[in-house]
Amino acid sequence: MVTVGTMAALAIDGLAFGVFLALLGVGITLVFGLGEVLNLAIGTFTVMAVLVATWVARAGQGIVVSALAAVLVVGAVGLAVDRLLLSPSYRSEGEQRILLGIFTTLGLTVFLDGFLINGLDLSRFAGALVIPASPGSYNLSQNLSAITLGGAVIQGSSLVVIAVGAVILAVLFLFLRRTFLGKATRTVFQDERGAHLVGVRPRRIRTLIFVLSVTVAGLAGLLWALGHNVSVSSGFQFTTFALIVSIVGGVRSLSGAIVAGVLLGLVNTYANFFVGSYVATVILFGAAIVFLLAKPEALS
Amino acid sequence: MSPLAEVRNVLPRTAVRNVAAVAVVLAIAPLPVLGSSYYEGVLAHMVIVGMFAVALNIVFGQTDQLFLFMGGLAGIGGYGTALLTNWTGVTPWLTLLVASVFAALVGLLVSWISARRNFTVVLISILTLNLQLVFVEFYGGARNITGGSTGFPYSYLTFESVAETLGVSDEVILYYFALLILVALLYLYVWLVNSRFGVAFHAIREDELAAASIGVDVVRYKVIAGTLAAFVFGFVGAFYAQEAGYILPSAFSFLTVDVLILIVLIVGGLRTTLGPVVGAVIVVAIEEALATYLTQWRTAMFGALLIFLFLYFRSGVVPFVGDLPRTVGAAAERARALLE
Repeated sequence: MVTVGTMAALAIDGLAFGVFLALLGVGITLVFGLGEVLNLAIGTFTVMAVLVATWVARAGQGIVVSALAAVLVVGAVGLAVDRLLLSPSYRSEGEQRILLGIFTTLGLTVFLDGFLINGLDLSRFAGALVIPASPGSYNLSQNLSAITLGGAVIQGSSLVVIAVGAVILAVLFLFLRRTFLGKATRTVFQDERGAHLVGVRPRRIRTLIFVLSVTVAGLAGLLWALGHNVSVSSGFQFTTFALIVSIVGGVRSLSGAIVAGVLLGLVNTYANFFVGSYVATVILFGAAIVFLLAKPEALS
Repeated sequence: MSPLAEVRNVLPRTAVRNVAAVAVVLAIAPLPVLGSSYYEGVLAHMVIVGMFAVALNIVFGQTDQLFLFMGGLAGIGGYGTALLTNWTGVTPWLTLLVASVFAALVGLLVSWISARRNFTVVLISILTLNLQLVFVEFYGGARNITGGSTGFPYSYLTFESVAETLGVSDEVILYYFALLILVALLYLYVWLVNSRFGVAFHAIREDELAAASIGVDVVRYKVIAGTLAAFVFGFVGAFYAQEAGYILPSAFSFLTVDVLILIVLIVGGLRTTLGPVVGAVIVVAIEEALATYLTQWRTAMFGALLIFLFLYFRSGVVPFVGDLPRTVGAAAERARALLE
């Protein structure tokens, strides 16, 4: 018999997973909405943040410094990717652009996954520059104690994910609604030519938003790793989840992505508990397929 | 007129001759390395990958339907053949056909829905990617049916009696059998693009609306291409598992099968007859060279290759070599003009 306490604990865990998915889904939605590049490498940035934080933490730094370093590295890699790899996509038009974006980011995922698993020893050329190999799984567990609330055992890490994740989403919304850059971003979202005419440079905005989206994905990874193990191979799985969230949310709608993320997180967590993880995952992908068939115009 | 002469008249001579030349080269290829099971395995793998790429060339190259569930379809053939034989005791050569037909039906359904509802290439790719993930999740999750992530030894499509009579390894027979199918597929491709199908495919690629307005049944032709390709993916999938000798869900994953075949087809040259074969030879050779010297860098190299190919080398090797005389000629012309 499943107690009310268990159901409540599941709800909290599901909400935490949902917020995590929403952060990734928003990343895909923002970049696709701005420039029709479907970032199939977003999950790799999530994993990268966790790995960098682990390395820094191992070097004896506290969690805040580690997280900061991780965010900086992920942002820098995002900037490099945007400037070096995405320009050809933005230069092409229509369907060609979307396809090129898919293949570039797909190749990037495969490349970065292989790279992160192996690491790279450059100490012969550049002092102490060694990127460690990451074949295992890693977490940033902070020994957050579980809270017992009326018979429900609630994971401390889940509460942190929900609280901090909600703050990040709120800041993101405030940025888009209130700041000049945010408004410029929404202008490009709505009408690229119009944005051009009023002096907004779409390419700059796209760079900014790409870096922002991978940084948010990195933050999501740091939060998630507080309570879960993450390995390099989780990256593509995160990407596929983010893609589902973005599709179910309507691909161009930020609030849609958030609602879809929370909903799918809850559904997945309950399904995981009651019918097992494989059926739960099939339900997630099934939901994406149903939404694609029901509302195909979102993606074209 | 004999049927063969008739075929000769219909098909362009150069294409027929090129395929024949490739068939001869690939038929001779194993002779120097006969007896080395490693090289025999590599060659068989190459031909199997080539067959997958021909199927992608039909569905994506000819009709712009980007199927990203090639691994999933191959899994239907691989698992289907084995499981149907286990359950019914029927010879795997028959269940192979049943499983392939099932894969074809999946392709038919996806193609039909996509074509009927005017799905763009991007939408088809994302839809099939999601299907791919469902399939692989099923292969790994339905433990009581598929053996889950531990898999099982795969020895169904064997040629033991033939191999014993000829005194060669099973691997060699598998290679020649696969080669036979590959050559048949290449001729099928040549026939397809030079028949009314090819004309329709071309018209649909150029402008779907215009094609429909002059009476081309867009849905029908897309569905034909999708069904045919899906059948081939399923069929070849069983040989893919047979070649590996062991069946595992991860062998059919998106990053293992779909990414590889995409690279192969783009390296060789989309919409060229020999592109799939040339691409398979190059990519499998790179793969094996890396496997010997730099095993752990295989994934990273493939990722870099995928980016590079799509950004700078989308035309592929076959058109590149084909254009070489013209490129060189133009350069020589320019050099002469400069000198004068």
